[in-house]
Amino acid sequence: VFAYLEMLELQAHEAAVKQEEKLLQEEKLARLKARVEELRLQRDELQAKVDLQEKRQLEKEGATSNPAQLNPQAVLQWKIKSLQAMLQVFYLTGIGGKLTRQGVCFCISTAYEGTYLDSYYLDLLTKSEVRIYRHSVPTFIPLKQIAKQYLQTDIRRFLSVLSDHLNAYVGRRYQADQLQEHFSDQIKGTLQRNSLCNLLVFNYNMSSKSKTFPFNVRLLYGDPCCSLPTEVIVSCKSDAPSSLTETATAHSDLFRRMPLHKAFRSFSSAGET
Amino acid sequence: MDSNVCQVYEDEIHSLEEEIKLLAEKYEDSQQESTFFSDEEILMSIKSFQRELRGESEGYESPSDLKAHLETLETDLSFLMKFTGIQFTSHSKKTLEKTRNRTVRKHRLSGNCHSLSFQLEFQLLEMQSKANVSAVITDLSIIMEPGGDSDLSKFVSSAEERGSLLTFFRSLSSYAEWYEHRRCTFLHFKVIIQTVK
Repeated sequence: VFAYLEMLELQAHEAAVKQEEKLLQEEKLARLKARVEELRLQRDELQAKVDLQEKRQLEKEGATSNPAQLNPQAVLQWKIKSLQAMLQVFYLTGIGGKLTRQGVCFCISTAYEGTYLDSYYLDLLTKSEVRIYRHSVPTFIPLKQIAKQYLQTDIRRFLSVLSDHLNAYVGRRYQADQLQEHFSDQIKGTLQRNSLCNLLVFNYNMSSKSKTFPFNVRLLYGDPCCSLPTEVIVSCKSDAPSSLTETATAHSDLFRRMPLHKAFRSFSSAGET
Repeated sequence: MDSNVCQVYEDEIHSLEEEIKLLAEKYEDSQQESTFFSDEEILMSIKSFQRELRGESEGYESPSDLKAHLETLETDLSFLMKFTGIQFTSHSKKTLEKTRNRTVRKHRLSGNCHSLSFQLEFQLLEMQSKANVSAVITDLSIIMEPGGDSDLSKFVSSAEERGSLLTFFRSLSSYAEWYEHRRCTFLHFKVIIQTVK
C-alpha cells in the first residue's frame, strides 16, 4: 500500500513540476513577444524619422541652420563632432596627431594607392629636447638613425622621412600579400620574405606549349624608401625552351617597373603562350 | 517546439536591436551633415550655455566640459594645420550608404598649402571585418589652383586615377614649398632686374 501511495505522490509531484515549467515557459514567451513588439514600434518610429529627414533634404538642397530649434548644447555638440571629423581627415593626409601634456602624439598613416593600411604612433616629449617616449614603429625600421639625424633639428623632416620608410615597407608588404591572395595558383611553394619585406624569393609557373616550367624570382629592394625592387633575377631551368628565357627577361623588366601584383596581372591576362 | 519559438523571438529581438542602432546612427549622421553653424552662432551658444544653470545638462557633458572639449579640439586642429602647412578651409560629408559592416561617405574638402589651393572630392569606403577596419578611397577628384604646371597636372591625374589621396598630400607640402621658393626667387629676380635697369 505504501509503495502505491509513494508512487501517487511521485506522480503528483512530477505533474506539479511539469505544470510549473509550462507556466514559466509561457511567461518567457509572453515576455519575448512583448519585447519584440516594443522593439518593432521603436524601429518603425525611427524609420519614420529617418524617412522624414530624407524627404526634407530632397526638398531643400543645401545646408540648413536652425538656431531657433536647437538648443546651445546641441549646437556645441555639433561643432565638436565637426571638429572631430576634421581631425579624422588629417589622418587621411598621412600625419595626424594631438597635443598631450608632455608634448605631442603623432599618428603616421600609410596607404597603398587608395587603400589605407597600418598606422603608427609616436608619442613625443617636447619639454626640453625632443624625445620619443613611446612608439609603435616596428623594430626593422631604422627609427633610431632617423631620429638621430632629424629629430632635434627638423621634426617635420623627421616625420616625413619616417613616413617614407613606413609607407615603402607597407607598400612592399601589400604587394606580396596581394600576390599571395590573387595569384596563389601560379605560385609554386611558399613565398619567402623577410620582415622588412625587402627581399622576396618565390617560384611561379609559366607554361609553353602545354608544358609548365617553373621560374625562380629573387627581388631585392635596395632602397628602403622605395616599393619597387632595385635588383631582379628571374631564372628558369636550363631545359626550358629559348622562348621562355625571353619571357624571363621580359618579366624581369616588368618586375622592375611595376608593382608585383600588377606585373602578374599584366602577364596573366596576356594569356599563356 | 516551444524552444524553437523562443529562438525565433530571440533572433528577431537581436536583429531589431541592430536595426535600431543603425537607424539611430543614420539619423544622427544626417542631422550632423545637413546642419551648419557659423562661428558667431557657436560663440553665442557658448555664452548662452554658460548662463544656463550650472550642472544641469541633458546630455553627457556639463557646460564647462563641453567648452573645454571644444577648445582642446580647436587647439589640436590649429596645431596640425600649422605643423603640416596644410590649412583646411571647408569640409563637408554625406553618408551615402550605411550597413552593419560597410559605410560609404562622400567628402568635399578644400584648403591650401602655402600659395597652392586645392578642392577635393572623394568617396571613402569603410568596411568592418573581424580583425580590423579598412578604408579605401574611390572617385577621387582634385582641382588645383594655380594648376598650369604640366608636371603638377600629370601628378594630379595620376593620383586621381589611383585614388592616391595619401600620396597627394605627402607630396603636396614639398611641392608647395618648392613652388613658393620658386615664386619668391622669381619675384626677387624681377626686383633685381628692375633695380638694375
